[in-house]
This record gives sequence, C-alpha cells and structure tokens, in this order.
Amino acid sequence: MKYFSLRCLCHWVVRIWEQCISAGAGLMYRFLPCHGPTLIPFITNCVSFCRGLLSQARLHSIAAEKKNYLQEEPTSSHRRNASQFDWALMRLDNSVRRTGRIPKTLLQKVFDNTCHSGSPGGNQALLLLRSCGSLLPELKLSERTEFAHKIWDELQKLGTVYDVSHYNALLKVYLQNDHKFSPTDFLARMEKGNIQPNRVTYQRLIAAYCNMGDIEGASTILGFMKTKDLPVTEAVFSALVTGHARSGDMENAENILTVMKEAGIEPGPDTYLALLNAYAEKGDIDHVKQTLEKVEKSDLYLMDRDLLQIILSFSKAGYPQYVPEILEKITYERRYIPDTMNLILLLVTEKLEDTALQILLACPISRESSQNDFGSFFLRHCVTMNTPAEKLKDYCKKLKEAQLHTSPLQFTLQCALVAQKLDLAKVLMKALKEEGFPIRTHYFWPLLVGHQKEKNVQGIVEVLKGMHEIGVTPDQETYVNYVFPCFDSIKSVRAVLQENGCPHDDNVFSQAELRSKAVNGNLDYILSFLESNTLPFSFSSLRGSLILGFRRSMNINLWSKITELLYKDGRYCQEPPGPTEAVGYFLYNLIDSMSDSEVQAKEERLRQYFHQLKEMNVKIPENIYRGIRNLLDSYHVPELIKDVNILVEREKTDSRKPSSSDLESKLEKLKAENQPIGDILKQLIVMLCSEENMQKALELKAKYESDMVVGGYAALINLCCRHDNAEDALNLKREFDRLDSSAVLDTGKYVRLVKVLGKHGKLQDAINILKEMKEKDVPVKDATVLSFFHILNGAALRGETETVKQLHEAIVTLGLAKPSTALSSPLVTLYLEKDDLPAALESTIDCYEKYKILPRIHDVLCKLIEKGETELIQKAMDFVSQEQGEMTMLYDLFFAFLQTGNYKEAKKIIETPGIRARPTRLQWFCDRCIANNQVETLEKLVELTQKLFECDRDQLYYSLLKLYKVNDDWQKADAVWNKMQEENIIPREKTLRLLAEILRNNNQEVPFDVPELWYEEEKDCPTSLPSPVEVNLQIMSSHFLFSFIDAFNIFLTAKKQNIVFDNETYARLINLLLMKDNSTQAMQVKDFAETHIKGFTLNDAANSLLIITQVRRDYLKDALTTLKTALDLDQIPSRLAVTRLIQACALKGDTESIHDIQKLVNGLEDSIGLSRMVFINNIALAQIKNNNIDVAIESIENMLTSENQTVDPQYFGLAYLFRKVIEGQLEPALKKISIMAERLANQFAVYKPVTDLFLQLVDSGKVNDARALLQVMTHHMWSSEAPVMKSLLELIPELIDKEEAYTCLMKSYVFDNDVTSAKALYESLTAKNVKLNDLFLKRYAVLLKNAGESVPFTEPPESFEFYAKQLKESKETHL
Amino acid sequence: MAASAARVAVALRTNIGRPVAFVRKIPWTAASSELREHFAQFGHVRKCTVPFTGFHKGMGWIHFSSEEELHNALQQENHIIDGVKLHVQPQKPKALQGDQTSDEEKDF
Repeated sequence: MKYFSLRCLCHWVVRIWEQCISAGAGLMYRFLPCHGPTLIPFITNCVSFCRGLLSQARLHSIAAEKKNYLQEEPTSSHRRNASQFDWALMRLDNSVRRTGRIPKTLLQKVFDNTCHSGSPGGNQALLLLRSCGSLLPELKLSERTEFAHKIWDELQKLGTVYDVSHYNALLKVYLQNDHKFSPTDFLARMEKGNIQPNRVTYQRLIAAYCNMGDIEGASTILGFMKTKDLPVTEAVFSALVTGHARSGDMENAENILTVMKEAGIEPGPDTYLALLNAYAEKGDIDHVKQTLEKVEKSDLYLMDRDLLQIILSFSKAGYPQYVPEILEKITYERRYIPDTMNLILLLVTEKLEDTALQILLACPISRESSQNDFGSFFLRHCVTMNTPAEKLKDYCKKLKEAQLHTSPLQFTLQCALVAQKLDLAKVLMKALKEEGFPIRTHYFWPLLVGHQKEKNVQGIVEVLKGMHEIGVTPDQETYVNYVFPCFDSIKSVRAVLQENGCPHDDNVFSQAELRSKAVNGNLDYILSFLESNTLPFSFSSLRGSLILGFRRSMNINLWSKITELLYKDGRYCQEPPGPTEAVGYFLYNLIDSMSDSEVQAKEERLRQYFHQLKEMNVKIPENIYRGIRNLLDSYHVPELIKDVNILVEREKTDSRKPSSSDLESKLEKLKAENQPIGDILKQLIVMLCSEENMQKALELKAKYESDMVVGGYAALINLCCRHDNAEDALNLKREFDRLDSSAVLDTGKYVRLVKVLGKHGKLQDAINILKEMKEKDVPVKDATVLSFFHILNGAALRGETETVKQLHEAIVTLGLAKPSTALSSPLVTLYLEKDDLPAALESTIDCYEKYKILPRIHDVLCKLIEKGETELIQKAMDFVSQEQGEMTMLYDLFFAFLQTGNYKEAKKIIETPGIRARPTRLQWFCDRCIANNQVETLEKLVELTQKLFECDRDQLYYSLLKLYKVNDDWQKADAVWNKMQEENIIPREKTLRLLAEILRNNNQEVPFDVPELWYEEEKDCPTSLPSPVEVNLQIMSSHFLFSFIDAFNIFLTAKKQNIVFDNETYARLINLLLMKDNSTQAMQVKDFAETHIKGFTLNDAANSLLIITQVRRDYLKDALTTLKTALDLDQIPSRLAVTRLIQACALKGDTESIHDIQKLVNGLEDSIGLSRMVFINNIALAQIKNNNIDVAIESIENMLTSENQTVDPQYFGLAYLFRKVIEGQLEPALKKISIMAERLANQFAVYKPVTDLFLQLVDSGKVNDARALLQVMTHHMWSSEAPVMKSLLELIPELIDKEEAYTCLMKSYVFDNDVTSAKALYESLTAKNVKLNDLFLKRYAVLLKNAGESVPFTEPPESFEFYAKQLKESKETHL
Repeated sequence: MAASAARVAVALRTNIGRPVAFVRKIPWTAASSELREHFAQFGHVRKCTVPFTGFHKGMGWIHFSSEEELHNALQQENHIIDGVKLHVQPQKPKALQGDQTSDEEKDF
C-alpha cells in the first residue's frame, strides 16, 4: 500500500519534469528557465517524502516480524533504487537546465547504471526514453531512435513494465526524430500489451500521419477520438496544418486556421509556427515574411526559439540563402542562447555546418572579455562529424577574426586529438606552425595513447611518422610512456622503427631505454649501460627512474655500485652543484618516495647500502642529511639516522659551520673567562646529539650541569631514548623538571620516553610521563596514538602483562587516546601470544564491557576453534549474540571457520535460513585475505556466498581479482571472468579494468571492451601495487595481526614452491619465531635462507633474540657463537641478550666464557648499554660457584681500594651478586662477603657494598642477618636497626635506590611497631614530595591499622607479597 | 587497522612545510617544461610534475627550493601561459597544521 503511493509520487514527479522539458509542438523542446531552479528542490522534497513513507513502511514490517532477525534493511533495494533514480534525475536535469541538451555519453552512463541496478523502475525507463529526442542534437536522428529502441528493449528484458506513459514517450521521440513508422502497427502493439491509448496517444499519432503528409491516416485517428468523445485541441489543428502542407495542399493548410476559428479555437503561436514552417519548407520567403508581419500585428508573440525553428526548416529544405533574413528578427534573449547553440549543433549533425557558422557568427556575444571563448562547442562537433579539414581551418580563421574565439586552431586540434584523428591533427598542426606557434611533443601523446591501448603497432608508427613530418622529435617520455609499452621488447621497437623508415635519435632512444629498464628494476642493465655509455647524460634526468628501479630491486650491491659510479664518474654529475649534492638529493628522494612501512621493512637493506656508500667514500652535504634525518624520524626509524650520518661531508661542514671540537674549545675559553656559556653549551649538545654521540654529550652535561638549559636537556633526553638508555633518559628528565617544572617537551619525545621506560620496566615512571602529558596538555595526534599502539603491542609481544595493562589503563583513563579496537588489541594479544585462550576471551569481553569494543575477537575465535575449545566458543558466541545480535555472531563464526579451514562448518553457518549479506563485514574479510595472501580462503568465501541473499557478487569477485593480481595469476583471473558469466553477474567497470590489467600484464588477450579510466597516477612516480614479495613481507612483519603459525606456513608453502623471499622477510620471520620461543623453526628458516640467499645474515634484533632463546634453552656455546657472529657483522646486540648470556655463564661457573665475552664486547659497552658491574658481579659469582670465594673477594676489594679505580665506588653495585649468593644459599660465601662489606665500610669508608648487602638481606627476609650486619658494623648502635638505617640514609646521600631504603626503613619501624617514627618518616617524605611505592604504603597502612589509627590514604589493596614481588621485578629488569 | 593508522601517519608527513605550488587550469598546450620555464622567474624549481595520460588533467605541482620563492610566485597576480590564466595556490598540507614548535629551539 505504502509502496504503491511511492510509485505514484515518482510518476508524478516525472510528469512535472516532462512538462518542463518536452516540446509542445515542433522539433525543439520547450525550455522554461524560470522553472528550472525551482525544480530540483521540489523533486528532492518529493523524493524525501517518498522516503518518509518508506521508513514508515519499514517500521510496520519491523513490528510485524519482531522475532525475526531478518529485519535489518528489509527495503534496502528499494531505497537504493530510489536514490539512484534521484541521482540520474539530477544529472539529466542539470544538463538540460544548463545547456538544453544531454550529451550522449551522459545518457549512456545513466542508462548503464540503471541496467546495473537490477530491475529499473518504470519512472527510470520514462526518464531515459524521453531523453532520446531533440535533447540529443549531437546525434543523427536515426541514431537517436535506435538509442530509444535499445533502451526500450533492454529495460523490458530487465522486467520493466510499460504503461501508456512509456508508449507516449516513445511516440514523442519518433516525432522529434522524424522517424517513419506505421501508426496502426503502433496501436496494435499497445493493444497487444493491453494498454489503452489515451488522448495524448491519439494526438501524437495524428501528428505522425501529418508529418508524412497522410491526411487520410490522420482523419482515421481523428475519428477514433471523436467516437471516444475526446476533445480536439490546438495541437491537433497545428498537426493538420503540417499535414496538408506536406501533402502539397498549401491552400487547405491555410484553411485550417479558419476551421479552427469556426470550431471556437483561436490559432496560437504553435499553429502559426506550423504554417511558417510549411512555407519555409517550400522556400517561400515572401509568405514567411507576410505571416511574420501578421503575427507581429496580432497580440501573438513568436519567441526566438520559434524563429530558430523556421531557420532550421529553411536550411533543411535547401534554402540557406533566406537564413540571414530570419536571423535579423532574432532578439537574442539570453535565455535562448542554449537554444541557438543546440540549433547550431543540429545543423552540424545534418551536415549543414555553413549555415551553423552563419548563426554562430550572428550571435551577439560580448567580445571584450577574451577570457570566454565562444564557438568551441561548434568546432568540437564539427570534428566529431568529420567536417573536412580545410573547411575547419577556414572556420577557425573566421572565428578568430570575429574575435569570438582566441585560439580556435589550438582548440580544434585538441578535439582532433581527443577524437584520435591523425590526419586532421596534422593539417591543424601545420596551420598552427605557419602561424608561428610551437608544436610540442606532448601534442602527439593523446594519439599514441589510443594506439597503445590496442597495442596497435602500425598506428604508433603512423603517429611517429607524423611527428617526423611536422618536425617534432620524440623525447624520452614519448618512448617510455607511449611507444615501448606497445612492444614486447625494446629491441623490436628499434627494428620496427627501422623497417618502417621511422627516423629516431639514437641518443634519446638509448636514454629512454635506460629509463624503461630502470622502471622495471633491471639494475644490471643500468650499471653496464652507465659503464659503457659515451653519451652526455645528467644524473637528474635519471633520478625518478632510478628511484623506481632501486625500489624494485633487492640487490644492494648494485644500488651501491650505481650510486658510486654516478658519484665518481666524470660523465654524470660533474656540473654544479656537483656529485655530493646530487647523490645527497638522490638519497633524500629515494627515502622520501618510500612509505614509512617500506622504509621500516627495508631498514637493514638501507643500512647496508649506506655503509657500502661510506666505504666507497661517497659523501652527502649536511643540510641534505638533516632532511633525511627528519624523514627517518617521521617514519619512526630513527635507528637509521646514525647510518646516514656517517655519510655527511665533514670537511665542508668545517668551513661553513664550527665543528663540535671548535665549539668545545670555545666553550672552555668562555668558561675560563667566566663568561656565560649556556648558549654555546646547548649548541654543542644539540650538535653532539645530531652526531649521535651520546657518551660525549652526557659527559659534557655532567661537566657543565649548572649551565644546562631546557633545550639541551630535551635534545639529550631524545638521544638517550634513541639509544635505548632508559636510566639516563629518566635522570635527565628529572633534572629537566627540576630546571623548569613548567617546560614541555615535544609529543614525540614524551612518547619515546614512555616507550623506553615501559620497555625497561619503569612502569610507574612511564605512567608519570603519561600523566604529565595530560597535565601539560601535550597535543596528541593520530601518529601519537599510533605510537601508543606500538608501545603496547611491543610489550604484549614480550609478554609484559602489567606493562600493557597499566599503560593502556593510564592512556585511556587520562583520556590521551580513545580505547579503540586497535589501541586495545594488545590487551588480547598478550594472552593470545601466551596461548592462554580463556584469558584472551575474558580480556576481549572485558573490553566490550568497558569500552564497547571487541578487539581481536576473530583471532580469539580462530584459536578457540583450532584448539577445539567448545565451551569457550559457546561462551563467546552467547556473548556476541547477546550484545551484538545473532547475525553478527553468525558472521564471526563463519569467518573463523573459514580462516581455520573448516569449510564444511562455514558452509552450514552461511546457509542458515534468513542470513543475508553484510557488505562491510564481507569486505573486511576480503581485505584481510588479500593482505594475508590467503587465496584458498578467499576463494572459499566467494564460493560459499554464492547463494547469500543480497550479496554483491561483483564486489566479491573484484576482491578475488585483486588477490590474483597480487599473485599475478592470470589463469585464475580468467576463470573468474567465466564464473561471473555463469552466475549472470554484470561486472562493474572497475572489475573489468582490473581483470583486463591482469590479462594484459601477462600478454593475454582481453576478451571485452575495457572502460576508460578517468584519471591515472602520474607516470613519474606511479604508486604501483607492491610485488608479491613485498606483500609477504608486510604480512610477516605486521605479526600482531597474524599468528606466527600463519607466517611459518607461508614460509613452508613458499619453500615447497621454491619461492625465495628477500633478506628482511626471513629476518622478520625468524624474529617472530624467536619471540615465540620457536628456535627450532627459526633455525629451519635461517638454514634455508643461508642456503638460498648469498650472504644471508640475521640483523641485530634477530641475533639478539636468538641469543636469548639459546640461553633459555641452555645452549650457551651456541649463544656465544651467535654473539661472535653478530659482533663480526658489526652489529650491536641488545643489552638484555648479552646480560642474559653473561648471567647464564656465571651460574654455570664459567668464568672463562665471561672473560671471552668481555673481550668480545670491549669498546662496545656503551653502545650496548652494558655496565662494567655486570662483568664484575658475574665474574665474582662464577668464581664463587667454582669455590674460588677468596679470589672473588680479593679482586672486588682490589677494585674498590686501588688507586686507579675503574668504577666510582658509589656506583659499585653488587646487589646482583649478593642476591644470587643469598638465593643460592651459599652460606660460606655470604659470610665472607659480609666481612668484606664491613671491612670496606669501616676501613675504606666505602659504604655502597654494605648498604647493598643490608638491603638484600632485608629484602630476602633475613632480618636477623641484617641486624647482625649492622651490629657488627656500627658498634654503638645496638638497640634497633631503624636509627642505623636512618643514619645510613643520611650518611650516603648518593645512595641510588633511596626508594628501597625508605621501604626498608619503614619495614624496620613496622618490625619495631614504632608508629611515631613511621609517622615522622611518612610526613617528612610526603613533605619532600618523594614518590612512595605501594609496598611502603601498604606497610605503613597496616602499622597504623594495628595501632588502631586511621589511614590517611587508600590502602593498596593487594598483599605484601604482591608488592614485594612487583618491586623486585621492576628491579630485575633494571639490571 | 594498523594499516589505516599507518596511512594517517604517511598523510601527516606528506608535504608538511614543503614549498609546493599547486597549479590548476593549465592549458592542454603546455606541459611541465612550459610550467618550469614560467615559474623559474620566481626561484629555483626543484621539481615540476604534470601528470599525463595522453592529455594532462590541467593540474600540476611546482616544488620550489624555499618558502620565499613560493611566496614570490604566489604574490604575482596573473600567471599566464599560452594566453590562459593559471590558477596557482600553495599546496595545502594534507592534515595537521600548526605543528608544535620544537622544544630544542627554546631557551637560546
């Protein structure tokens, strides 16, 4: 019922539109500009009203089927139709309103779209049909009717039901197009279709008979009308005027007017126009003039459009000589300009272009403003209609003389080029040349591009010959972009050109060939060409192509060799600004042209490249280096900066800017003169930071601490973060705050601090940084949120539960970022990585309850299915279906089954009765399959959804083709083409284009017409699809999305097919496997890579991970070998890896290996971030394990008491040693160590060891031993250790871990039940703003509660053990 | 999801603070060499791109080597090539304007 009203409304809208555009009489349409602007809002209102009805209808249906989840989008297809109709109407209406005509292409497009939409409605059909008449002046009359018939038949096939309005519309089109047809047959057809003709039908049939001069026929119809008692209107009489005239009976034609008057109808303009046209067709200018005068004298008024009609009649009947007389009478009202233009077009279509020009030249267009050329439409249409070239040249001349058009020749040439008319183009170019205009090479490109599409070699040759004829030499671009793609090889181009006598410049040709090779990544060719080349050639002309070539080649050695050649060889970049600048700029452009993920993925390769360049002594200017540095920073690969830095041309730097040593001596001088040094100190520090010299920068800071300014600190903090030095970064940050608590760092520096602190377990510090970001209102951008994600994800992959949870919590509660699915996914990743599925599911559900998101639900489900966790699957499904509906749940399950290869189950799910297509979800899964290169999965998806209700099959096939494109699998793509036909799917343009591209790339014939592209990327730097290898690389590198099992499986498959990936891919896969502790698989990959890639090596990170894994598995010898290999490759292993190895050796008592390691890393300690204490502690421990306790003690004592101390006693931390000794219950050693510590304190005033020992004793609960230690140590303080602790704290101001000391002190007070002292301590600490840890607070709270006092803060909820463990863990990661 | 975030990151860095003029309404008769020639009067044109597929689409990008040169070009009211007036404007950063000033520059 409701839907019916919608249909009526739409019909009504169309009718109003029809009245606005269609003609009352004659061939021209009636155009009422005053209605135009008001039409669209009116129609829009109608349409939205219709939609209102629709949504009401939907409400009803929803109410009716409440229990059925089919309810979503029950009328989506209707709505789609309505909106498409809306769109088509708008386009056509706009065109008519602006120009009074519809271009054929637009009508074709609307028609195609209507067809693709499935079942076009009657209104759309009407719209299309009525556009096929005089609204198409650029089409021949017969073509217009053909078009109308095509639409009629096509739509009927698609199920459109025609009514009388459609038949009438078709009749109108026949009349406007002078189409000869049998009116009786037409009536019979209507009858057969059970359609009753109406008055309009009869009127138009009469007009049809009259147009043929068939009065008898017209009378028959008139008879029908009379029997049906239908009124006879002016339109009928006007038709009869035409009828009589065309039957040769002018007398009776004139008599009609009298008959009319007798019948009580006054002849109006339409009747007079019919009469005027009748005279014009006879060439009777006198009668025309007489009649016009008669009309003028009457109160009737003929409009410009009517006069134009008379002109058309004269011209078509072969009396162009009378045209000027009528033109004189035209008033040229502005609103009739489009009418005039349409007449001109129509005349050109009818091959009456001379008359058309006459009218054009008579147009009173304002000629002062040279901006608006008039007449282009005429010239264009002449070109389309194949007007002879000489005529066109003449028209151009006349238009220019009349100052209607400033550049008619250029414009006509453009039209000829668009229309691919070589001969016309040649004539026009010659004419232009004669007038002194340059003919440019790119004028020929449009011609070439046409032939290129068809691989028409002969066509290409013709154009090249034409170029020669005009005197234009093809340039490199012409060859590379337009000629070469037509041929199988460049060799064959040369041959064909020679065969056809096509001259070409060898120099240009060779350069073009080179560029073409570069674009295809053929660096071998480039190198050999550059070496043997004798032609003059500039680097800059090669740059763009070389960059593409580099990016498409894996061969770093070739990268370097080519760069070196260009840098050093006199032939290439000797002209100013010289090789340094040219190569620097090239490197900048190379990196700039890559995306950040590409640079990240190729990090190691780029590093190799830079180092090779360094060895080749290639240098770049400092300013360009800075540009590169900024790029790398913005790409999140600051690790590469130091590798580019080595290329900077220092000598030049010296002359222009002071070097760091200059600055330093200047600084010292100023200092000596007691002048302010803040400025220069900052400059120096910033410079050292840019040189990546952390050690020196830190030293300098320590030396001139009092003169440091905020800027210097900021640079230093960033440097330390870059070097993964959390300790110094944090200390610097504290000093920075002390200097100016209101100072704000860049967002990036805060984020880096959070990252480094989080990574090193300084969780609370990291959270404090986040809090500060909030407090200081540091701007958080999308990139910042992305960085947060990476921090969390990194921690999740390392399995750091607390880090992930607490940082996520802090980021979200502080409001720094929204808890998006992406940002929260690490919360789930954490457990997925540990294979703890219940926790993973719990975490996902938890996220939903907190933030209404379900991160990684798909991955969780997949794993649950893999493990067969039926109960958990049930739980997950219950939850999803309760919270997000049954349909969502079904899709989740469907995708999970597909992903895990359980196709049978997937099929059952998708065949659930009532399930319908959800385009966004399907697309999500398609994109995922494409990104993962899961061909089979995607194929299955497409297969299983064949019967899915409302499924956009074309879109699914499009995705499938995209994947085939990635794999360059044309056979499968070809099979898709057939399948689509089988399924009766009409492919969209983009699908066809993609399919054609795949086929063409593989030199296959394209079996269909390829739709043209609207816009292509610039040829200079096309954003090409990544190669399959790169795709795989991406798959593997973004491991958080994919399980390592997937990645390993890809490897195995590739291995089977003997596909070899690049270095990075393997390195990343190995990383991934190692992170998962899969060292066996990792070694398998490594072995394969080593045997298939010459010189394959693991990168720093992979080697470090390998060491850690080997240590964990107790393969210490292997780990040591790995370390050696890494160091031999000049890699910097991670501190964690080296420390773990040393510690493991120590626990084995393997002193020798530790010494070996010490020698190996000698000089690299700072780069690794390795403290000397690691060696001292572990060597001592190893010695103790070997029962060489005395040796160990002796050497420690020596180090602390000798003259030349290597480590400052206050940093001589032995906590690790003490802890291990205590933990290992090595009593004799502990005893001797205690004595040593006492002795050092008492005799040498070295308090650090005794403090460490004391703290370790307290920490491990050996309170009695601790007390004993103190008693022995401080003879006069027996009663309690609390005062001793207190004095210890005062005594040792540099005590590093005050926090722990205070905690211990509190522990002592608790032990002694000394509430007063505890209170005093708490108050003094809070007054000093000392950050108190949870263990401290817990202890104090319990003490207060036991004493019956209230607690002035929230008591930490967890147990003592929990906080003790937390504290210990955080310290462990310190070491 | 990470991919879209990465795209954002790429968009963020693209063309920030680079002196690029975006030119529209280039007549079909002119190509990059004509543009280069015209804009050379305002400064050093590092790069000039006019994407072509047969014809160009009337759009091009002129990369100057400094902001000042770009400014010079933008100052000029009329840019006319082959009798046609070009439409010249600075290339807008794709996202994010008014980046934070670097803290390292403070406290000189």
